[in-house]
Amino acid sequence: MLTRCICVALLFVTTRVAAQDPGKVPVETYTLDNGLTVILSESHAAQIVSVNVWYAVGSRDEIPQHTGFAHLFEHMMFQGSAHVKRAEHLQLIERAGGGLNGSTETDRTSYFETLPSNRLNLGLWLEADRMRSLAVTDSNFTNQREAVKEERRLRVENRPYGAAIFEGPQDLFDPESCFPYSHSVIGSMDDLNAAGTEDLKAFFDQHYVPNRATLVVTGDFSPANARALIEQYFGDIPRGSKAAPVACSQPFNTGARRKKLHDPNASLPAVLLMYRTPAEDHPDVPALTLIGILLGQRESSRLNQRLVRETRAAVSAQAVPGIFGPRRGPNFFLAYAIASQGVHPDSLEALLTGELARLVEGNITDEEVAKARNAYRASVIHSRQTTMDLAEVLQYANLFLGTSEAINTDFARYMAVSRNDLIRVAKTYFRPDNSLTIVVTPPPAQPDGATP
Amino acid sequence: MKPLLIAVLVAAPSVALAQYPATPPPAEPLSPARFPPFQQTVLANGLKLVVVENHSQPVLSISLTLPAGSVTDPTGKEGLANMAAQLLTKGAGERSAEQISAAIEGVGGTLAADAGSDFLTINADVLSPQAQLAFDLLADVAVRPNFPAAELELIKTQTLSALQLELSQPVALASRFFLSQVYGTHPYARRPTPASTGAITREDLLAFQRRRLRPGGGLLVIAGDITLARARSLVTSAFRGWTGRAPAAAPFPRVPVRTAPSIVLVHRPGSAQSNIVVGNTTFGPADPQYYAARVANQILGGGPDSRLFLNLREQKGWTYGAYSRLDRPKGVGTFQATAEVRTEVTDSALTELLRQMTNLGFTPLPDSELAGARSALVGSFPLTLETATQVAGAVAQARLLGLPSDYLQKYRTRLSAVTAAQVRAASRVVMQTRTPLIVVVGDASRVYDKLSAIAPVSLFSPDGAPLDPAALTTRTIALDLDLAQLIPARDSFVVTMQGKPMGFQRTELTKSANGFEFREETRIASLMQQTTTVEMAGDASVRTVAQTGKTQGTDTHINISYAEGRVTGDALVSARPEFRQLTIDTMVTSGTLDDNVVQALLPALHWARDASWTLSVFSAGQNATQTMTLAVTGVETVQVPAGTFEVYRAQMTGGPATIYFMITTEAPHRLVKVSLVGVPLEFLLAR
Repeated sequence: MLTRCICVALLFVTTRVAAQDPGKVPVETYTLDNGLTVILSESHAAQIVSVNVWYAVGSRDEIPQHTGFAHLFEHMMFQGSAHVKRAEHLQLIERAGGGLNGSTETDRTSYFETLPSNRLNLGLWLEADRMRSLAVTDSNFTNQREAVKEERRLRVENRPYGAAIFEGPQDLFDPESCFPYSHSVIGSMDDLNAAGTEDLKAFFDQHYVPNRATLVVTGDFSPANARALIEQYFGDIPRGSKAAPVACSQPFNTGARRKKLHDPNASLPAVLLMYRTPAEDHPDVPALTLIGILLGQRESSRLNQRLVRETRAAVSAQAVPGIFGPRRGPNFFLAYAIASQGVHPDSLEALLTGELARLVEGNITDEEVAKARNAYRASVIHSRQTTMDLAEVLQYANLFLGTSEAINTDFARYMAVSRNDLIRVAKTYFRPDNSLTIVVTPPPAQPDGATP
Repeated sequence: MKPLLIAVLVAAPSVALAQYPATPPPAEPLSPARFPPFQQTVLANGLKLVVVENHSQPVLSISLTLPAGSVTDPTGKEGLANMAAQLLTKGAGERSAEQISAAIEGVGGTLAADAGSDFLTINADVLSPQAQLAFDLLADVAVRPNFPAAELELIKTQTLSALQLELSQPVALASRFFLSQVYGTHPYARRPTPASTGAITREDLLAFQRRRLRPGGGLLVIAGDITLARARSLVTSAFRGWTGRAPAAAPFPRVPVRTAPSIVLVHRPGSAQSNIVVGNTTFGPADPQYYAARVANQILGGGPDSRLFLNLREQKGWTYGAYSRLDRPKGVGTFQATAEVRTEVTDSALTELLRQMTNLGFTPLPDSELAGARSALVGSFPLTLETATQVAGAVAQARLLGLPSDYLQKYRTRLSAVTAAQVRAASRVVMQTRTPLIVVVGDASRVYDKLSAIAPVSLFSPDGAPLDPAALTTRTIALDLDLAQLIPARDSFVVTMQGKPMGFQRTELTKSANGFEFREETRIASLMQQTTTVEMAGDASVRTVAQTGKTQGTDTHINISYAEGRVTGDALVSARPEFRQLTIDTMVTSGTLDDNVVQALLPALHWARDASWTLSVFSAGQNATQTMTLAVTGVETVQVPAGTFEVYRAQMTGGPATIYFMITTEAPHRLVKVSLVGVPLEFLLAR
């Protein structure tokens, strides 16, 4: 056994510098006259190309009475534009053998197409057409509003813990001091019911403009051809107004908050513990990411070892920083556990807060820090394996870290995090007066023999 | 203002630029691509080895698949293969569970095992410099698992909890019922139950490992930053001494032959949606009709360009998504069309699903749709082969299903050759529209009647127990009322908003010839006013509710009656920011209370310090029955205009807002105060 251990250790030492760091990603960034940022990253490993557009608009840009607009647009963007009929976007991509999707977070909306490389022109043209001429019509709006309501039923109302996860965390932030993060991404159905098509048009004209968008192309393409197509398709779309500033002056550490939720879909109680954390470009974010790994991700994590395996109080327990994506404003760190049958939520909560307290007390080993770094390293390498994932990482670097080049430098920040950094960061954020606790209870059990 | 033509000429750029195209740009030429290269060999112990080399990233993905899926589970021990798979990584060789997870996760890798119907698979993903560690761990867990007793006990607890959790997950329930019904006695129908989980012993697991986890007939696939030579040497040394071949599994029994359509309805009370699965069994994986069936499935429900999605979501707005799929296991597969729809449109959506399936088999297929579906499948094939792991997965699947050796190379050519006639023929084979099995998971009290009009319905509870449809209309939540406490009385409340008096409520309970009558009148400033009359039978069950009112200047009303397990009538209610006209015709259980009667019945409950009640409450305004909980949370003294009282403080949850009722501890119990959480509104007893 001893011999083998030394061999593995040696292998580890001699190869990690050479082969384990993520390789350099080629990046070429430029801006069109209308303000559209373009990022190109070429690779010819497979005959695949990804077109990815991020608009720097999310639920944070919504004003009171207009919540849910950014997410609604994720649906509206597939309803046609000047030269594309309703549902034709999906049809054209699908029939080219491509894949597509969109996603909305608090801070950005993402649209992408992955295509065989001879259809780069199609992906670019479709994105350009909807950026220049989306059909914001009454019938499209009415129809997609219904689809959103259905999505809300599916994700929030009909799913165990849906309400706690999707509509719980915004209670960390107050509407008065931080409206951008005090409402959910899916928004209020009342607001959507009350909205008129004119309100939507105004929202589109304000946010879906080239100077608030970034276009990323990754994979198998010729940069000269891509540049020419991008200029031809996007070059004459008029520049829009500047982004309105988004205000969140909510102070941290203002007192512990609690909420009880009765969840008719749940069959087991759950406890969700949330702490406010800073924006993505803050120096403490790498440490929070590594804490998330060692505390609550995967089998060997503390929450799994202690809550699921040792005490058996939970059926699952995890920790995730920024579960709804990175933010340019305050975010939150989530630790949660779903109780085993018969375990009272109070005992579960005590165990969960106990694990957070251990971190704050400085109870972290160097091995755990090394493990968290290695896990992060592997996740970075894996996040670049497909053209689509790479495009998302480039967008992330550009929007949240300020430059696409950060894709090649940001990794070092995570490798530089020390054990002391983790302890200091845990002390800074994991304070009861910076937290929101949500306790989810299932309906009372039916007595035996009763008809459900 | 310039004439239009001149304006256009002036605005036109002087240099000829490429114009913005008004139609989708055509495809550019694409150099023909072959299936990505891979190498294969068979090792001395009978294990097949496939290597897909790709050195672009320092990653390595290893996958060992053995013919040891749940089809090998003995009767009464369903779940054995999967439990064995979960336990492989929980102690093996010299390593404990903690040591295994610490070793693999310490280098940023993953190691996990899982069993499906046909196969058990162990996957390891690492950065390529950790190849040696990955193979050491893989060999330990595959060849030397220990199945520690404590881990077995833990996994049993977890499995039982997961089975419990599954009862609340409509998608999982729908799939479970579909498979168990469509496959009958075929092993693909087998699913673990709490009893079969409890029956599994450590000896069962050890026997499973000895018999089933053998290299002969297994497949090891290695993808990423490695060469065949290095892979072979790592495998040979890691698996030294591992030999043998699992005994052939018993031949599968035939799948049941369906002769008529049938509906399996799984009752999920209060469900906001219905999960629908329509389908049947199909054929084996190498069936020549597979290609045409793939195209048929693509046209029907393969994606967002398909008929189900365009019809049920885009046109009707009934669902967030509607899809179909062909499952292709080693034995006979299934076709399934699925949709998650609003409860109200359950029957319409089901009818539409069936109509779309029938149309595909029996009406002409437009050329453009056929071409679109073929090009979608052909074009997307390379997109699923972007990483070495994906290539390896495709090769592994073809080998494991026993497909011809040229399957992957010829796949696109064969799809491209499918004709319209073949699609129609194949769709009639894979979509048995005259005899489909239909599974619906939803609120049976609201959909049972309508579904019965489509096909015979058998009703089940989520745990699989058959339910008598009569149970939907019998008292499910028996509320024990002390009718003697329902004494004729008049009360008057002052309504305050943020502490300021803004209106009043007057209530009156009288005995009538047939039972009771409860009347209330509420007026809150100019915001709202309403008058309600509730007629109750002698056992205090609701007969009729009549309400008229005005909310922010608009007239509202509710006129409903309860009879024979249904509530019917109509309502015009405020559903901010608009008003909603509702036609009400819904099944209710006979214990159900109307939301307007809750206040009247409070005095008749058996009040005590720790009392709590589960109420089934129908709200005409929401056109839905909700399960609410009323629980005493404390005893306190309150002061209201009518005096000072010792009261039970009871919290009602589960409705649109949490409500607190304060009711005197002394009988006859009298409601003294009502307050709402999150709304600055209070009702205080005045006299």
